[in-house]
Amino acid sequence: MKQRRIVVTGIGVVTPIGTGRERFWTNLLEGQSGIGMVQSFDTTSYSVHRGAEVHDFEVENYVSNLDAAHLGRASQFAIAAARLALADANVEIASLDLERAGVSMGTTSGEPREVERFDDLFVSKKLERVGPEFLALYPSHVIAAHIARELRFAGVNIMIPTACAAGNYAIAHAFDVLRAGRADLMLAGGSDSFSRITYTGFAQLGAIAPELCQPFDRYRKGMIPGEGAGVIVLEPMTSAVRRGARIYAEITGYGLSCDAHHMTAAHPNGQGAVRAMEQALEQSSIGPEDVSYISAHGTGTLTNDRLETLAVKRLFRDAAYRIPISSIKSMLGHTMGAASAIEAAVCALACFHDRIPPTINSKEPDPECDLDYVPNCARDHPVRVAMNNAYAFGGNNASLVLRKFESLN
Amino acid sequence: MRNRVVITGAGIVSALGDSSSSLHLSLCSGRRAVRPVELFNTAGLGCPLGGEIPAFDATKYLGRRNLRPLDRTSRLVSSAAQLALADSGWSQEMRNQEEVGLVLGTMFCSVHTISEFDRRAVEVGPSYASPMDFSNTVINAAAGQTAIVHNLRGINSTISTGTTSGLQAIAHATDVIRNGRARAVLAGGADELCFESFYAFDRAGLLCRSDERAGDFPIPFDKRRNGFALGEGAALLMLEDAKFARARGARALAEISGHGFGYDCSHGEDEEAAVEAIGLAIRHALNDAFLGPHEIDCLSASANGSHAGDRHEAKGVFAGLNGQTRKLPVTAIKSMLGETLGAAGPTQAIALLETMRDGVLPGIKNLEQVEDDFEFEMIGPDNREIDLEKALINSVGFDGHCCSLVVAKCE
Repeated sequence: MKQRRIVVTGIGVVTPIGTGRERFWTNLLEGQSGIGMVQSFDTTSYSVHRGAEVHDFEVENYVSNLDAAHLGRASQFAIAAARLALADANVEIASLDLERAGVSMGTTSGEPREVERFDDLFVSKKLERVGPEFLALYPSHVIAAHIARELRFAGVNIMIPTACAAGNYAIAHAFDVLRAGRADLMLAGGSDSFSRITYTGFAQLGAIAPELCQPFDRYRKGMIPGEGAGVIVLEPMTSAVRRGARIYAEITGYGLSCDAHHMTAAHPNGQGAVRAMEQALEQSSIGPEDVSYISAHGTGTLTNDRLETLAVKRLFRDAAYRIPISSIKSMLGHTMGAASAIEAAVCALACFHDRIPPTINSKEPDPECDLDYVPNCARDHPVRVAMNNAYAFGGNNASLVLRKFESLN
Repeated sequence: MRNRVVITGAGIVSALGDSSSSLHLSLCSGRRAVRPVELFNTAGLGCPLGGEIPAFDATKYLGRRNLRPLDRTSRLVSSAAQLALADSGWSQEMRNQEEVGLVLGTMFCSVHTISEFDRRAVEVGPSYASPMDFSNTVINAAAGQTAIVHNLRGINSTISTGTTSGLQAIAHATDVIRNGRARAVLAGGADELCFESFYAFDRAGLLCRSDERAGDFPIPFDKRRNGFALGEGAALLMLEDAKFARARGARALAEISGHGFGYDCSHGEDEEAAVEAIGLAIRHALNDAFLGPHEIDCLSASANGSHAGDRHEAKGVFAGLNGQTRKLPVTAIKSMLGETLGAAGPTQAIALLETMRDGVLPGIKNLEQVEDDFEFEMIGPDNREIDLEKALINSVGFDGHCCSLVVAKCE
């Protein structure tokens, strides 16, 4: 039996460099940075002070059926990205069979601000002020649930909180649901809000850069925590073509693996990452030499970028040197559970436009990171196949393969 | 053709036993795990009761290895994984050869660790927050820690769909094996009992009342029900491709025949929509298993004593089974264990494996007055002798998620 082909027909993003596909893509290609001084909370007692927050976000523009004031920030982002993605896909909700319209989302922290509020009130001995809203707003599944409730989507509804690779996991799940014929349309992606807990943790690990995020640069000093959401519309190719949808790219396969080595550090020989990339290519029936672009996890930490480079070289061998690799985290910071979803959207756009976003803040090449990281300037480049890599706490590795859409056959 | 998926082992750490047989024995003798909570102070809360695992000690299962990096949730999951791996005969050596996956369902995972980490930063300053605890603040921490403890290098996923997380994880793992992506996956769920989640449910007014008759609650499906008790646990099934399991000489305890999903956009506010979603999940599960409603031998209900939730489930089962519920034996083990969130569905499945073996279905503790319009007859406090071939397991969440699973005896 021939497998159903699954395509990306809509993109919705809320990011530190802009909300909505067009604005985001323009800013991304221009190499704009969304990194600034943290405003969400007071960083006086921290040794680092910079983050990538979303500033231009107006929730009222996106939430109409639910009460926006009673939604956590990650849910607000997620609903906005979902609405933007549906509009971008030119899908009328009224035209959908809602029992076959589903949601698959990823996150690192769910709604951390709700537990931070709980903690503040606990510490100041005012816990009685925490009411029923804590249960209604906090558990991570509410992000997917809130999207469904806002849009009246009654199909598959799932939250896959696999930390910083979660977006790829959620998209992979939606891909399987559509292939199995259990939905007609899926909204898939990830969302995270800027979080004191996350910031504190990365600061304590010494992983946050003081100024810039400089993935793969010799003098890179770490990652920059960020926030945002990315949601893509996935549907079977046949129905997308039938309704005359604009198809950004086709998703052809994914690979998931676990290092089973360390909670916060990747395996020193990159074997888990290699297995995930291999599986994704194998499922796609695509050879390593056919990959035209790799969207790197590229956090900007010393070890991530070195090991990621190693893993790419182990799998792609000589071809590794001619495949452009870039990290948009240089501009967006690390948007956590949203990161790989936004990056998957970027892969789809790269396939569609034959353009590759840069890794900004590239100054000095690192002898251990000697591949083509598309330094500082976007590039025109034919993108037939894009690979989206993401790695997470827990040793989770997730690779997604997207292909330029070529008609029916 | 999809691959068939069999259960080759089970691992459970619960308040009523740490093996499927001890759990089953407890349930069939009407033991209740629900009692005053000792893990944390419940002063000032509406309900002092919980289904706590007494004196849980992970070294019993994991030996003398360094458990310091593992918090309570991770210890529960790693312990259950140890038991499931042993029960299914997956030695360390075999796991080095073959990739074993883990799909874990959890509602809160490590909210206690998250909150403590943050409170320390707030109280004494961010530079005093523990980097080791930070690695446990991600929601996939327990799955990651368990993979490290047992060298599980296959697919590693965490699923959060509220109280349906665990059953949803089994459904997810089933699909992964069906479409050939993995041959052996540990699947199930876990949640720990902790102050933070307890407080959340208490403030939402969902926990059973504490009065002079507190000892009797929760009572699923009973007219007198007034909420549920929060419990804890970890429950994992070893799921394998049937051919692969047979080739390695593994014993198959049962087969996962089908799963189904329904979603209620009203989050329980609209009774009709809630009932429809539960019915839809059941119909999807039956279709997926190629079974008709009359072929189901018993129901392990999600019912936990919630006023609306139990009502929706009773009506939803009636709808999902086309009204064929009069001769359907029904059990609700949350009457004894409490609501164990992510562990709930997988625990129901593990309990049924024993019913399949010895033919005894535990009764619903303290159930005396079933609501008049719940169309169940084979329901009550007494155990029942049944010949169990095909069982229906339900999980119904607070935010619209409904999941059903069909488990069948292997032919």
